[in-house]
Amino acid sequence: MTPEFRAGERVRVRAVDPVGHTRVPRYVRGHVGRIVECQGRWALADDRAAGVAEPRVEPVYTVAFAAGDLWGAGGHEVTVDLWESYIERVRRDGS
Amino acid sequence: MSRVNDVGGQAGFGALEIEADEPAFHADWEARVFALNSALVRNGVYRLDEFRDTVERMAPQEYLAASYYERWLYAIEKLVAERGLLGDA
Repeated sequence: MTPEFRAGERVRVRAVDPVGHTRVPRYVRGHVGRIVECQGRWALADDRAAGVAEPRVEPVYTVAFAAGDLWGAGGHEVTVDLWESYIERVRRDGS
Repeated sequence: MSRVNDVGGQAGFGALEIEADEPAFHADWEARVFALNSALVRNGVYRLDEFRDTVERMAPQEYLAASYYERWLYAIEKLVAERGLLGDA
């Protein structure tokens, strides 16, 4: 599986609310960010936490968000490392 | 569902206390808890992500009242007991 997203692409974090452990902080769910870079492929933490014998292995991306989008204030960026299945491409109509 | 650990961006906890020359551990037992967890993960008793999941399974009122390494100790005890490696005290 080659990385689906490239640096500079805009992605939306899936607005999921899984039952168990996840590495998607609540404050980015549903928000749009920008791919900074791919950090290689890593076993999905959600699967590892659930004791899955063969956890899914996916690209992990550093994604940058405007602090103002997340908090309503602040001119800086917040970067979060996210597995590929946590995010989806933002369509042309912005949805 | 989001659990009690997921407090990023939440207000009301007050300012972070930043200690000058903060030591790695504030008590010997904390260092032992740290070492114990490393040994259990390295020996394959449980995975680091299972450990994180277990910390997050703490009852919210206990989680918020506990210190960082008290949460670690809770998770170690819980996981070791769940795996049948620890008898009743």
